[in-house]
Amino acid sequence: MTAQFSHLGHLEAEAIYIFREAAAQFRKPVLLYSIGKDSTVLLHIARKAFWPQKPPFPLLHIDTTWKFKDMIAFRDKTVRDLGLDLIVHTNQEGLKRGINPFDYTPSIYTDVMKTQPLKQALDQYGFDAAFGGARRDEEGSRAKERIFSFRAAGHRWDPRRQRPEMWHLLNGRLGVGETVRVFPLSNWTEKDVWRYIAREGLDVVPLYFAARRPTVERSGQLLVLDDERMPLQPGETPQLREVRFRTLGCWPLTAAVVSSATDIDAVVAETLGARTSERQGRLIDHDQSGAMERKKQEGYF
Amino acid sequence: MTALSAIRRAETAPETSRELNGILNLLTCGSVDDGKSTLIGRLLWDASDLYEDQREALSRSGRTAGGSAHPDFSLLVDGLVAEREQGITIDIAWRYFDTETRRFVIIDSPGHEQYTRNMASGASHADVAIMLIDARHGIKRQTRRHAAILDIVGVKRVILAINKMDLVDWSQERFHAIETDFRELTLRFGFREAIAIPVSAVVGDNVARRGEHMSWYTGPSLLEHLERIPARDTTPVGPFRMPVQLVLRDGLDFRGLAGTVSSGCVCVGDRVTDALSGASAHVLRIVTMGRDLEIARQGQAVTLQLDADIDVARGAVLTTAESQPTVASNLDARLVWLWETPFDPRASYLLRTATDLAPISALSIKSLLDLETLAAQPAQTCTVNDIALAGITLARPVAIDRFGANPATGSFLIVDAVTGASVAGGIVSSATSADETTAASTFRLTREMLEKGLCRDLGDSEEDRREFQRRASEAALLLHAAGVPAKLDL
Repeated sequence: MTAQFSHLGHLEAEAIYIFREAAAQFRKPVLLYSIGKDSTVLLHIARKAFWPQKPPFPLLHIDTTWKFKDMIAFRDKTVRDLGLDLIVHTNQEGLKRGINPFDYTPSIYTDVMKTQPLKQALDQYGFDAAFGGARRDEEGSRAKERIFSFRAAGHRWDPRRQRPEMWHLLNGRLGVGETVRVFPLSNWTEKDVWRYIAREGLDVVPLYFAARRPTVERSGQLLVLDDERMPLQPGETPQLREVRFRTLGCWPLTAAVVSSATDIDAVVAETLGARTSERQGRLIDHDQSGAMERKKQEGYF
Repeated sequence: MTALSAIRRAETAPETSRELNGILNLLTCGSVDDGKSTLIGRLLWDASDLYEDQREALSRSGRTAGGSAHPDFSLLVDGLVAEREQGITIDIAWRYFDTETRRFVIIDSPGHEQYTRNMASGASHADVAIMLIDARHGIKRQTRRHAAILDIVGVKRVILAINKMDLVDWSQERFHAIETDFRELTLRFGFREAIAIPVSAVVGDNVARRGEHMSWYTGPSLLEHLERIPARDTTPVGPFRMPVQLVLRDGLDFRGLAGTVSSGCVCVGDRVTDALSGASAHVLRIVTMGRDLEIARQGQAVTLQLDADIDVARGAVLTTAESQPTVASNLDARLVWLWETPFDPRASYLLRTATDLAPISALSIKSLLDLETLAAQPAQTCTVNDIALAGITLARPVAIDRFGANPATGSFLIVDAVTGASVAGGIVSSATSADETTAASTFRLTREMLEKGLCRDLGDSEEDRREFQRRASEAALLLHAAGVPAKLDL
């Protein structure tokens, strides 16, 4: 081992430091686990931060009921193998009202099936801090995000009330009604996430690897049909294409990319050579200008 | 390695296993008028791995910089809708780009005086700062203020980017005149390296490449210079320090002290001491998930298992015997007031050090830095964006260093005890130990008093002892609010 510290070593150490600060300062934290690659890295680092202890907080998954089947299987196996506590929460009201990604705009769907249930679950269990895998490189309004991101009562994010963060000092003293979102991967890029997954030999959801999958092309984006709930438009017939995902969310809102990368090395190689940003595959972000900033103000992660 | 070989995705075959050789945090300070967003955008555009959809969005944006034929690079940088509408950058934005060898983190901070606090907090994370000025205007009040802030928060390397050289006919005389002013300015501060570079962000000269308009300039381009600066945490410097974040347990046999080595290094077998209690023990194991280490170096997050069960908890700073931090109750400090609510001598404040949080029994402002003359003006009050000299008396001692000797354990935040806000950030100029000064009027709150009443329900478990500390701190804060200076004697 050389005295020189690789950039991944540096990012890992920083994330461990953040996990430990949050665990020491907050009364009841939770890790928001969304099953994707960022959550995989987040969970792995949480284990490192408290080793040989288990992470001193449960995982929370907001299940919209529109996640890929492979994601749910992966989630359940991960939790079982590692012996972790998992809370799964769905907005039952939204489910009853039949809010789905086909008949409602992405912003309504996201609000009802993702943002609302997240707030419900945080309130119901009284969590004062929630770890998330958000990165500053993802999107414009994320670029100004703090590591400890404070939310006023009602989980509202007000950019003007955020605390300046200086040096390595993280101040987690909460005001009345405040909660906090904690982002240990703030300074990671998409490429770092994949390099780290490769370096640490982590398992990820198989959807990240190329396979022949039933797809339809809609508005220039490739959608994979994960079950029978997707209404086909006139003239659409599913075609088998070799595709994979760069980012995972609800399957009707997540576009696949044509790829032949079937293993981690190929995925890393493809990511390092990628020519478009990953959020291009996120249909909810293109809904309107400043979409992410608005979602955050409403309480979205 | 030259700037010209900076990576471009399309031209470079990706390597799967490649890790970058460290990280360099780069602060950019200046105002929109100086072309700061354009400079950063140009750097990203020319030197980095910008994605095609981002490039296209920029080309499609329909706005062009100053009516020129170039894309408006500033659109790459200006994030929040509120900011885009106002056309100003009001908060720090973080950008990332890689060259062949290195990760660059651009910390983009606003320039105007009403955002001094944003600049100070951004600068506290920086290894190097680019101060941007307009070649037509030269060094102004703003640049002097920026230099002073950089110096206070510990930035050791600064670059003066003299922008808009295209608007002064690429004049060598103009450059030299400004460079001379800059030399004079930097001599007043403790910078290790200061260099001036003539650039044109709009045209691109001397940003990521040399360009053709200033053949008289023989120095490096901005990117060339940045690539020569050593990355952070490359070699451990200074004495060993590890602020303890948490105590980790596994069954009855394992009790580990978790933390990040903030300076120096420690090996298995070394004797480490907790400065606060004076207790010491040898390092039995350096534990990380997967494997134990023989040595833990600056920047590494580890868990130390000691050979004796000494009473050490969060807030302690582990050190080696030869170089101890001061166990201090009185601090002389320089601070930047960060919050809209001004300093209130009757409010309750806490001092947040590396991992400790102690009640402040007295905070007094001695002087404010005049941002025009850079001289200290006597003062008692302090409000947002002020830079002050202050005296701090703590209700109980903390382990702390002088910032100049050890930045990670010599910096602090002042926290409003009621709202939790970080009202100020500061550095320790000098620290004096506990027993030297205690005013006769100070109320001594002892362990015995607390055990009799307020903490009667608490036992001897680690959790209960933490709760004891918490209640003691809160009691001291309440006494302070009632006008009684308190000292915790635990």
